Amino acid sequence: MVEHEAKSWIDYVSLAISRVAMLLVAAIVAIMFFEVVMRYVFERPTLWVNEMSLWLAGMVYLLAGLYVMQQRGHIRIFILYDLAPRWLQRVFDLISTVLICLFAAAVVWGGFTEAWQKMMRWETFGTAWDPPIPATMKPLLLVTVVLVAIQAVANLVADWGQEKQVHDLAQEVADEHVD
Amino acid sequence: MDIGTLSLILLVAMLALLAIGMPLGFASGILAVAVLLMKFGPGLLFRDFGTGPLNILAQRMYALMTDYVIISVPLFIFMASLLERSGIARDMYSSLNMWLSRARGGIAIVTAIMAIIMAAMSGIIGGEVVLLGLIALPQMLRLGYNQNLAIGTICASGSLGTMIPPSIVLIIYGLVTESSIKNLFTAAFLPGFMLASFFIIYIIIRTQLRPEEAPLPEPADDEPGMNEKLLLFVALLATLAVPAAGLLLVRGLFLQLTGQVAEATADGNVIALSSWGQIGWLAAIAIGSGALRQLVFNAEQRRRSWEMGKGLVPPFLVVGVVLGSIYGGITGITEAAGMGVVAVLAITVWRGEMSLDLLRESLMRTFKSTGTILWVTFGATALAGAYTIAGGPNYVANLIVGADLPTMGVILTMMVIFLVLGAFMDWVGIVLLVMPVFLPIVTRLPVEEIGWIGVIPASLVPIWFGVVFCMNMQVSFLSPPFGPAAFYLKSVAPPEISLTDIFRGFLPFIAIQLLALSILLIYPGLVTVFL
Repeated sequence: MVEHEAKSWIDYVSLAISRVAMLLVAAIVAIMFFEVVMRYVFERPTLWVNEMSLWLAGMVYLLAGLYVMQQRGHIRIFILYDLAPRWLQRVFDLISTVLICLFAAAVVWGGFTEAWQKMMRWETFGTAWDPPIPATMKPLLLVTVVLVAIQAVANLVADWGQEKQVHDLAQEVADEHVD
Repeated sequence: MDIGTLSLILLVAMLALLAIGMPLGFASGILAVAVLLMKFGPGLLFRDFGTGPLNILAQRMYALMTDYVIISVPLFIFMASLLERSGIARDMYSSLNMWLSRARGGIAIVTAIMAIIMAAMSGIIGGEVVLLGLIALPQMLRLGYNQNLAIGTICASGSLGTMIPPSIVLIIYGLVTESSIKNLFTAAFLPGFMLASFFIIYIIIRTQLRPEEAPLPEPADDEPGMNEKLLLFVALLATLAVPAAGLLLVRGLFLQLTGQVAEATADGNVIALSSWGQIGWLAAIAIGSGALRQLVFNAEQRRRSWEMGKGLVPPFLVVGVVLGSIYGGITGITEAAGMGVVAVLAITVWRGEMSLDLLRESLMRTFKSTGTILWVTFGATALAGAYTIAGGPNYVANLIVGADLPTMGVILTMMVIFLVLGAFMDWVGIVLLVMPVFLPIVTRLPVEEIGWIGVIPASLVPIWFGVVFCMNMQVSFLSPPFGPAAFYLKSVAPPEISLTDIFRGFLPFIAIQLLALSILLIYPGLVTVFL
């Protein structure tokens, strides 16, 4: 797999986070295997595996979005974009980035109080094992959305001086799947 | 603002944002904000920082994050990327090839069968097409196969991953529409295999009519003839039946002796293949096939059949683990995916292919694909939530149902919309953005008018529509100008094969997919056979 290299501080943050967070997928598999063995072979189901998987998976979903933003990998449609001259592509990118920032601002505007309160009250999941999923994931959601917006701005700055972009989908697949 | 105007603005704005190349997930997200703004006005929306209607955005995303079923998405992706890097698929190919090499169109049939087995292991396409493109394409071209036939076979059957259960498309559909994913899988079984068998039948007929499109390879020196191969295949089946029945036997005994069967019976549940009668049958099968193997076949035949067939064992093991977990009542979809990963990991270690590099690469790809799919889902769920608050889906449903259009006319129109959208957009976007509007319409159409032959119960309409949608997406993987399968194949095909060549090869296969789709529309009862 070919990766976009790091150019700004936020790139380093995104890549560093991704290196740790991608291990969480393996962790989920490991604890799930443990649970299935405990439940069906020893008939002693655990209390914590389901919720732990939810917790870890939530982190994976969020942080993966940041990594994908750094890699310019979010699903887009290039039909018109590729036809446009470079100056127009810059305008398109600018509009996209501004809107992403507005979206992040709106998410924070609407969700801040709830996230803050849940974190301060250290609200738990309300189950037997009772992990603090609301207390941690609600704030993490807002933080990640903001980081993603910062990353989008950094991408805009980093790619501003580039030549006209034409996307070769086959090449992108090759980068991804062929070692 | 009235909901009609709002819907129109939403549609136009979405098209505009997608046209300028804004990422789909974020375009949906900002449009969710726009919908709320049009519905509530800026005064109410921005009155107090930290709260208000905008909270729906974070709430919808959070709800998605705490849904247990979605964990199966990264797990299936992980499994697929491990499979892609291990030699399991390559060995399966050589094994299948040994059995079918003397048949006309053999490699194309092998490709299709291999794709079906891989589809039953995991629910992702992409890696599958790349793998088949790397393994089967060079061989077909070297033998002088018709290029269009080779290309179409690889991409059409490689796309079956999301049609044959497990399927990531059905998982996301089930999530969005709150239908049972297990039922969706069961319902998709028959249509999926129907489509797959259509491909194989087509290959056989085409190569019989035009043998020059599929030249036979030179037979190897000591290669057994067709009849001999059939005999060897029976020997292989007998060899495999012993441990398979034996394992199930041990499992049944274990469940009986630990009292788990009695417990389940008391709760009114049934654990498959675990009653004393069934255990007896399993024992009979194990002993019978063992005897057949030892008495009928000589040592040379046994060795030879195992030599030719052992490549099939790991894939079937994985299929058994994944589908067996789901249908054997052991685990839900998520844990089945987890067990699938464990099975693939174990096989990879056993084959001596495991390395930190392989693990790291697979995890990295999993992480990236998960991020891409999930953030589209985040944005779309926010938009669907905002649009529902604004009363959008209800409005559209009333509009369509009130217009008194013929039921199948409405459904066919939806099919056309799916096919057109599918040519330009990723399936995730379609299921997330269009389904919340379409499904309420479909469920409110008179159920007895759905289909032309037979009637399905009203409760199964969402399941049927999910399978229909899945079939539509089969077409979208192949349809120009953006059918993803074409790009997956292009990335590994020889450079002289252009995208146009690839899409040309798809045409008969798209026709077959449309045929399967029509059967599903004409006879909806097809999905209820196993339900």
